[in-house]
This record gives sequence, C-alpha cells and structure tokens, in this order.
Amino acid sequence: MADTKSGSGRHSAAGGSGNAVLSPLGQGPANLECKDFQEYLRTRQTPESLEKLYNYPPICLAVFRELPEIARQFIIRILFVDQPVPQAVVTSWGAQRCAKEQAEATSCLTALNVWRVTAIPGGLSAWELSPTFKKSVRQVLLGGGKPWPMTNTLDKDSKPRDIAFLDTYAMSRWRCVLHYMVGTGNRNGTDAEAISPDAVRILLHANLMKRDERDGITITRQGFQFLLLDTRAQVWHFMLQYLDTCEERGISLPECLSMLFQLSFSTLGRDYSSEGMNSQMLTFLQHLREFGLVFQRKRKEGRFYPTRLALNVTSKEAAATASVAMDEEATQDCGYIVVETNYRVYAYTDSPLQVAVLGLFTELLYRFPNLVVGVLTRDSVRQALRGGITAEQIVSYLEQYAHPNMRMVESAIHSKSCLPPTVVDQIKLWELERNRFTYTEGVLYNQFLSHTDFVTLRDYAQSIHMLVWQNERTRTMVVQKNGHDDVKRYWKKYSKSGV
Amino acid sequence: MGPPKKSRKDRSGGDKFGKKRRAEDEAFTQLVDDNDSLDATESEGIPGAASKNAETNDEQINTDEYGAKDYRSQMQLRPDHGNRPLWVAPNGHVFLESFSPVYKHAHDFLIAISEPVCRPEHIHEYKLTAYSLYAAVSVGLQTHDIVEYLKRLSKTSIPEGILEFIRLCTLSYGKVKLVLKHNKYFIESPHPEVLQKLLKDPVIQKCRLIRSEGEDFIQGTLDGKAITQFGTKLPPGATDKPTPDPAAAAGADGTTAVPEDITDFYEKIDKEEEDEDEANLKTVSFEVAQEKIEVIQKRCIEIEHPLLAEYDFRNDTNNPDINIDLKPAAVLRPYQEKSLRKMFGNGRARSGVIVLPCGAGKSLVGVTACCTVRKRALVLCNSGVSVEQWKQQFKMWSTADDSMICRFTSEAKDKPMGCGILVTTYSMITHTQKRSWEAEQTMRWLQEQEWGIMVLDEVHTIPAKMFRRVLTIVQSHCKLGLTATLLREDDKIADLNFLIGPKLYEANWLELQKKGYIARVQCAEVWCPMSPEFYREYLTTKTSKKMLLYVMNPSKFRSCQFLIKYHEQRGDKTIVFSDNVFALKHYAIKMNKPFIYGPTSQNERIQILQNFKFNSKVNTIFVSKVADTSFDLPEANVLIQISSHGGSRRQEAQRLGRILRAKKGAIAEEYNAFFYTLVSQDTMEMSYSRKRQRFLVNQGYSYKVITHLKGMDTDSDLMYGTQEEQGQLLQLVLSASDLDCEDEKLPGEPGYRPSGSGGAVRRVGGLSSMSGGDDAIYYEHRKKNIGSVHPLFKKFRG
Repeated sequence: MADTKSGSGRHSAAGGSGNAVLSPLGQGPANLECKDFQEYLRTRQTPESLEKLYNYPPICLAVFRELPEIARQFIIRILFVDQPVPQAVVTSWGAQRCAKEQAEATSCLTALNVWRVTAIPGGLSAWELSPTFKKSVRQVLLGGGKPWPMTNTLDKDSKPRDIAFLDTYAMSRWRCVLHYMVGTGNRNGTDAEAISPDAVRILLHANLMKRDERDGITITRQGFQFLLLDTRAQVWHFMLQYLDTCEERGISLPECLSMLFQLSFSTLGRDYSSEGMNSQMLTFLQHLREFGLVFQRKRKEGRFYPTRLALNVTSKEAAATASVAMDEEATQDCGYIVVETNYRVYAYTDSPLQVAVLGLFTELLYRFPNLVVGVLTRDSVRQALRGGITAEQIVSYLEQYAHPNMRMVESAIHSKSCLPPTVVDQIKLWELERNRFTYTEGVLYNQFLSHTDFVTLRDYAQSIHMLVWQNERTRTMVVQKNGHDDVKRYWKKYSKSGV
Repeated sequence: MGPPKKSRKDRSGGDKFGKKRRAEDEAFTQLVDDNDSLDATESEGIPGAASKNAETNDEQINTDEYGAKDYRSQMQLRPDHGNRPLWVAPNGHVFLESFSPVYKHAHDFLIAISEPVCRPEHIHEYKLTAYSLYAAVSVGLQTHDIVEYLKRLSKTSIPEGILEFIRLCTLSYGKVKLVLKHNKYFIESPHPEVLQKLLKDPVIQKCRLIRSEGEDFIQGTLDGKAITQFGTKLPPGATDKPTPDPAAAAGADGTTAVPEDITDFYEKIDKEEEDEDEANLKTVSFEVAQEKIEVIQKRCIEIEHPLLAEYDFRNDTNNPDINIDLKPAAVLRPYQEKSLRKMFGNGRARSGVIVLPCGAGKSLVGVTACCTVRKRALVLCNSGVSVEQWKQQFKMWSTADDSMICRFTSEAKDKPMGCGILVTTYSMITHTQKRSWEAEQTMRWLQEQEWGIMVLDEVHTIPAKMFRRVLTIVQSHCKLGLTATLLREDDKIADLNFLIGPKLYEANWLELQKKGYIARVQCAEVWCPMSPEFYREYLTTKTSKKMLLYVMNPSKFRSCQFLIKYHEQRGDKTIVFSDNVFALKHYAIKMNKPFIYGPTSQNERIQILQNFKFNSKVNTIFVSKVADTSFDLPEANVLIQISSHGGSRRQEAQRLGRILRAKKGAIAEEYNAFFYTLVSQDTMEMSYSRKRQRFLVNQGYSYKVITHLKGMDTDSDLMYGTQEEQGQLLQLVLSASDLDCEDEKLPGEPGYRPSGSGGAVRRVGGLSSMSGGDDAIYYEHRKKNIGSVHPLFKKFRG
C-alpha cells in the first residue's frame, strides 16, 4: 500500500550552479513595517488596554494631537457635553462635500476607542466619548488630578547644557546603536561605545538583528532597511519595539508611554527633575539615557535634559522642521555616493556609519580624509545578499544617496535611475544567480509494495502531466499538489480492482 | 607588381616552404612567456629606477576594519579642498574628479605624468609609475614643476613617500639627450652639471670626440622652431593649443572660484612649454664618436641617466630627403595633432609610443610622422594583410606612389633600391632561417641603410626580445610606436618604454567617442543558457572538451544566428569571431557564410574581405583570431564573439577596435556599432568574460547583460530548435578530437602544430566522425611524418 506524505518537492533548474544556496523560508516579513502612533495603537492594543492607557493624560494629549483635524474638532465640541450626542448631529456639523473626510475622522475615533456608539432614548444611535479619555483630556486642558512627574522645580543648574551640546550628545549615543548594528560598534571596546544587553535584546526582538550560530549576532534585511530610515523614524520604531518588551522587564507600558510623551512635550534645553518617579520609571530613564533621548550627567543625579530625539519622537511636523537643523548627517546625507560603470564606488564621507553601511555590500579599497574608494564585486554583493539584504535595497540606497553629479549625466536624465544601468542590472543578476530554484508544492508517494504498482501509478501521473519527480529504484515519486486528488482516486480504483 | 612576383616565388619555393613562409610573416613569435632563462637578460638595459614601484609604498599602512587602506593619517585635508580636484594616495594612485572646474588643467597634467588606470564618467584614476614620470620628464616637465603642481591640485597634503618617489624617478631622467646633428652625434643637456658628471665617468670619457685641444662644452641654444603645422591647415581654432582664454578663465573664476594658484601655475607651465617651443633654451653639449654610440647608451643607462634619442632631422644632410608630403585632403584631427606635437615638440623628432584607440586613425599619425621627417622610413607591422593596408594608407594620405613604397613580405617583394618607404613585418626582419636570395639582398640593403624614422605598428604585440633583434638589425634615428592598448597580460610592456621611448600620448576613449571620432559602441554580453544535455556533459568531461561544449552550446548557436539575422535585416555588416576553429567552421558552414582562419590563403582572404566590403550580398563573415589585429574593415559595425582566448583583455580591446572606426551619418542614433559577446551560462566562460572586459570597462565602456533575446523563441527559422537536432550536435561535439577542442594556434604561439591546418578540414561532416571512421591517432601519424619545421616549433611539439 502506498503511503502518501504531504511535503514540498523541490524542483531545480537544470543549470543550477553548484553553490546555489537554498534561500531559507520563513524569514519573517520581508519588509520592515514602520507604524506611526495611531497605527500602533490600533493594531497593538485592545480596547481594554487602550482604556488603561487613557488613564494617563499625556497619552491622551498625544493621541489628541495625532488625530485628523476634523476629529479634533469633534472632540472639542463634545468634550464638555455630558450626554451622548446623536450621530446625525455630528454629521450635520460638516458640509456634504466633506463627507469623506468626516467619515475618515469618525472611523478613526472609533478605531482608537475614543468614542463609541450608544443608543439613546428614541432609538437613535449616538456618540459618547470614552469616560477615561474625556476625564484625562479635561485634565490636560484644565489642570487638576495627580501632579505630573517632571514638573518639580529645580535649582538652577550650575553647569547648564546648551542645545548644541545636547544634539551632539544625542546623536553620538544614537549612533552607538546603529554602529552596533552594522558591526562597527566596539563590541569589546570602551564602555562609552558599547550598548547594553537590553538594547541588544530589543534589536533581536525587533528582528533588526538575528543570532546566527556561525557569526554571532548579525544584521537582518529589516535591519538594513532600518538603517535607511531617517533618524526620527528610527528612534520611533526602536522605541515601539522597546515598549513591546518593557512588560517583560517589569516596567508598565502605559507609564513608559506616558513618560515618553511627556518628554516630547518638554522644552529643549531645559532641565527637568526626576523626583517623584518610581523605580521602574528611573530604569526607563536610564534606558532613554543610553539611547540618547535624555541627557543626565550622573546616574543618580536628579536632573536630566530631554534631547531632540525625545522631542521629535512623536510629532510629525516637528520632525520636518527640526531634523534639518539637528542632523549634521542630514547635510552630508544628501548625495555623497558616486557609482561608476566600472563598479567603482566613491563616497564623499568620513562618517563611520556611512562607511559601515557601504562596507556591507562593497569592497572598500582606500580611505582618504574625505573620500572612501570601494568597488562592488560579485563577492561583496553576494556577501550582503547572504546577509538577507536584497538587491533592491542596495540599489535604492545607492540611488537615494547618489552624488548630485550623478543626476546630471546624460543617461541619467533619460532614465529614472541615476545609477549606471549596467551596475543596477548586474546587482540584480547577482541576486537572481542565487535564486535558481523554483518551488513546486507536491505530495510524496513512496513505500510501494511492487514495482508494477509504482510504474502504473507513475505512468498515470505522467499521463495527466502531474508528475514532478520520480525514482524507479527507490520507488518514490512526487506529484503536484493539485494532482494529488486525481492520483489518489486512481490509486484507490487501481488497488481495488487489483485485489 | 606584386602578383607575378608572388607566383614566381611560389614556384621557386615549392609547396613545402609555402607554409613556412606564411608562418614567418604572419606572426610574431611570442617567446616571452615560455622562456624564463631570458628574464635575466631582459632586465638589462633598463635603468634601475625603472624597477622602483610606488605600489609597495603603502605596505606598512594599516588597513581599517573593512580591509581598506587607511590613508587618513597620511595626509591632511586642506581647507579649500572643495575647489581642488585630486587625491594622491601613498601608493601612487591618483584620483581625479572629472566634474571639477579645473578638470581640464589637471587632466592634461596627469596624462603627462601618469598612466590612466580607469577613466569612466565621474572620477578617473591614474597611477604614477617610474615610466610615466620618465615620459613626463622627457617631454620637458621638471621635477620641481611636477611636485609643485601636484601639490596645488591636491585636496590633501601629498604623502612624503610620493614626493620622494617623484624626485627619485625624475631627477636623473631626461636630462641628457643624444642628438644627431649635421651628421655628428652630440650629447646635449641644458644642465651643465649633469654633463660634468657624465664626463667624469671613464667609459664616457673615452667616447668623447675632441676635435681641438682644450675644448670645453659647446655652448648652444636650442633654436629649433616647433613644427606647428602638420599637413593641411585646419581652422586656427582647431589647431591652436588650447590655452586658457583669459576672459573665459575670469568668467570661471567668478562662478566656481577656482583657486588662483592652480590657474596661475597652469598658465606658467603652459607658457614654459611654449617657450621651449619657440626655443632659445641654453644648452651645452659635447660631441661623441659615432662608433661608440652603443657603448655610451649602455653606460648612461647604467649610471641612471638614460639618453633620450632626438633626431634633428632638418639638419641632417647625410641622409637624402625623400619627396613625400601629405595630400591636401589629409586633415588631422585635434588629438592626432596633439600627439604629433608631443613627438615633434621642439623641432626635433622624439622617439616614443603613441596610444590611440583602434579606428581612431593611427595610420594617419604614422604617415604624417613620416612626411614630417621626410627621410627614409621603415614601417613594421605584424601581418601580410596589414602590410598591404599600410601601403594603401600611404597612397591615400601622402603623395607617395607605388615606386616609392616597397613591400617586403614573403609574398610580395618589391625592388627596394631607390624607394623611400619600406613596409614589412616583424617576423620578416627577425627571421633567422635561410632566406631566398632575393630576400637576402633586401635584408642586406635594409641593414646598410640609415633610416630616418621607424614606425612600429601594434607595438604591444611584439615581445621585448624580438624587439631587440629588430633594433640590432635596423639603424634608425627615431622610433615611433603605435598601439591601441599598452597592455599585456604579462607586464613586459613596460620594458618597451625604455627600448622605444616614453609614451608620448594616450587618448581617452570616452572623449573621442563623445566627439564622434570613433563609433559609439554598445557592448553587450548575451547569456545563453546551457541546454541540460550539454551541461551534463560539461560537468563530467575533462577540461579540453569542456570548452568545445560551451562554444557549441545550441542556444549560443541560436543566439548567434538570431543576431546575424537581425542585423542583416537592418543592413549592418557583421563580423563573427571564434578562436575555436571547429566551432568557426561548424557555425559558418551551417549558416552558409564565408570564413577566414589561419590556413586560408592570402588570395582568398583578400577576396573575402573585398566581397565583404563591396558586395551587398555578403554581409556577414566568420573569422578566427587571425583578424584580431590590423584587419581594417571600416564597413563592419557589428561584432559577435562566440569564442575567445581565455581572459585576454587585450584581445577584447583589439576586437572592439575592429568596429570602432567612426560610422558616417549615424550621429543621430545613440549607438552606431554593436559588440556582442555570447557566453554560455554557468560555465568558465562567464568568469573569463568578466576578466576580459576589465580593460574596456576601465575605459568607460559598459557592458549590458542580455539574458534573453526578445523574439528568439518565436523565430522558427533558427536551427537546433528541437531536442533531436541538439542531440545530434552533442554527438558531433563528443566525437570531435582533442585537436578540435583547442583554440586556433597561430604560428609562433606555443602549441602550434604546423600540420594542424590540414587535419582540421577533414573533420567536418559529422556522420563520419560519429561512426568512428577517423580518430585522433590518424593525425598523430601524419604529424610525425612532417620533416623540416622551424626548430622553435619542434620544441613545442615534443
């Protein structure tokens, strides 16, 4: 009796080169998902946990700020109405032609559990603000409630830090994380450069890095995409990942989030007191300090300065204006890579991070004070591909940071990419080289009792073009999945008649 | 005059010698690779500094964490680095921004002092070498100028090692010249102290010719007026040296803020050059005895003052002028003019090498040089066909007629006496075996002459050893080497620099292409998947068969056929190259196209080439590697390469050269010539092909990879579409003998079998081979029967 096993038969192209590596399946999502705050709340939190979050006025304020303008209008209008407002009334506030925007705002508020539908006498449905949310927002606007931490007044700092200092500090801390990711952070180096095991855990959790038996901890393809984000987005993504793991660490998520937002509402260049924080929050503060979101001179000092990284963490608009000033990289960032038709890569940079990113997929040859000379080779690109980076990512990185001169070349004007087409093609071909396998789902038939049985079934499968592979000696065959039913039916009929 | 001569020769020589004679003028024995014992003697005659290499200067420099050489500690970035175009690495590599406002200045300067490594679109790489610096000095640059200008152009401080290297290589070079003037030889130098030093040497002392007692140095001024006009006058704008226009420079200053020291200095150097042109440079000299010339040359090299040979041809009354001039129709292009200006810069003829891409008009440069010197000229090239082509070039561009041009090859021996220009091949001159009486006479005459100028075509192809032989046989005042690629897989090319002279000029391929002087070529690498049956065999068979399997890959055949068809429909002229004769013949016969390879007779070759040129029905020809160099086929604009010689970069460049000649009236199209290389996927060909492309890629060419030819699947006319046919082809390949698996061996190459030419022909006709009716042993016997062969070939047959 033939035993059927379901599995996936592998079918390789005839010319498969010997060293083609089977690309591991199930590497997780191919692309890095970057959520904004709203999305985060919608997808990660249940209505109950949202309710819990709304106990914290700073979170409510942040949610409020993030809402679409119409939604904010709605909230303000019904904030002090103590009974549910009929839906028809809310709808009547907007003109007919803006119905679409209104609907959007409505659904947004519903999704965030800011308001919910209730029935009012008369059978009409009405909107009612979540009581917790209402209470917290009222508190934000009117004051009252428990005093917020960070509001305690401090004596004047004897050595106040200016904004420029905070910016450099923040960036240098943040770069440590990035350097660690690309493997240039001194894993065995000085303390100032190293990152804590907690941070490593977050990177692993976020799938930005993975543990590899052979090479230890290496960057993943999401990690590479992460590096391509701007700093604000990086910090935000990283913090979300942090929040995901903070409960494990025994730190309350709402508290952290609340504090994060409070920081984002603070003033740059001002010092705040950590008095009144519980021990969990102090731990959180230390983490923030490590990533460069706050500056604290000493661990025990009850004084800290939020940096621009913390201020920018949520606000979208702020990012646009502030990031220009803040990032000294931003000025360099706008185009420093020249890619030549002979696969040479010249990068006008001395930033160790940029060099490290380039080093992921180029073979670096020389380093001058303001220039790095490298070359894209098959080996270097394959190395990157092996690390899970896609050709698309390499090309888009090179494109994104292409030197202004690259865009002025005749050929670049005609085509959409400013890179030499041959180089782009070649990088893609190098990737294709690795993916020569085509996968066919199939069902394995084996343990045939007699040779005739095997031959009969094989010939049948072949006749209906469903045979993927067969071996007469071991009496094994693989049939396409959608042919499995037919073959099984045939087998049943055959074995019945045979008996 | 040629044909009757030839037939007579054939009669007298008999069949047996016919082959040998062809061997003798066709090829240039490549002895370099296979004779290690010669290496010791090869380094002789080359100054010590030439062996210095900046490349090793950075060995002690640390590498950073990515394995890159970290030069950051070696140099400081200058505050105004944005306006300066160069980085100089401690290993002699120089990087130049081509988009810099001072690019033009820097480019001219770098071309003079260094070798271009790669010149693509944005950033060019150059390399300082002992030879390039030698060349720089010989065209009149001073150590101080080089160092100073390099400093000004550089974004950073210059590493001390490099400055040291420049000083070392330039201080003693180019200071002394050997000048033939009024039939007397003089050692001349603008630096009296150098002459003093030379005269302290006892060997040189002996060679000095003192006519009167107590004679001191002869004071003189270099009064040579530069030759400013070659041939027909071009519009002044085109001929004038591109001196920076003050107005334009001022304008540039306003917008881009070129550091003033750069422009100032550039103008200064420029002026100096012109000053030199216009002369009145004080020089001192002493006379030397003519018969001691060789001794003194050798001695000077030993004491690190190599003599630059200059020929003051206008004051040479000993040798009669020949009466040739350029025709009025001959118009020089700016870069040809520039290269000649380097050669005749101070009114005398310098020896050296001019590097121009194939098809950019090297012959015209050669002809013009001959017409400028107007003394007896000897032209050496490497095949009988190119001898004919040189003769035609002379007739086309100059006023020389048949009576003045004498060909000296195995097949055409014109009467040499009284002629002004002799065209011959390297192997004719260096031939060591017994010659016919007639050839003997010509050789004797040739040796007796004092040649004014010797033009060496495709100079990179001849090994140094052979070249020395030529030099000992021929007495010539000045030597001009012409080549497209100063490139060899072994690095012996450098030695030629000292044997002929420095590189005088090297053109930028991309720039010539942009200006339309050479064709705009689209290079493509077509990937042909190996059919499963062929690949299975490929993986299991031994190496020699492997090659035949990937060349005969049916999908390659189909791609080739498809491309030929496509381009024939467009009205293009196509050349198909194959190094492998078996494949060549199979492809050609199957597609019914004419083909040329080693054994094809001279007559047949010319006939095929003529037909290709003029017959509209013959649009495609198949050729083996005999056509790699100097087959001038101006009509061809498509080249398909189906098999090639391993990873030879030179062959790739030479082949591209076959289609580089500028095409008329095709400016509108983005590309007007096509260069396809067909490679079988997943075979050794892929890595060979990558290696071959390096030179051209460094010149700025880019190869487009074509993985799939559109429309090929639907074309039912293509052969080998069915499994059955492919199977037959596979059988044919598998039954081919080992001999068929090899590349064609030209006479003189290692492994050349004189009998091979006859044997291979009989292999065609697959069925008989399959039946096993003829096997390899048959040839082995035949080979042994062949008696007198060149002793050189015996060696390889063993």
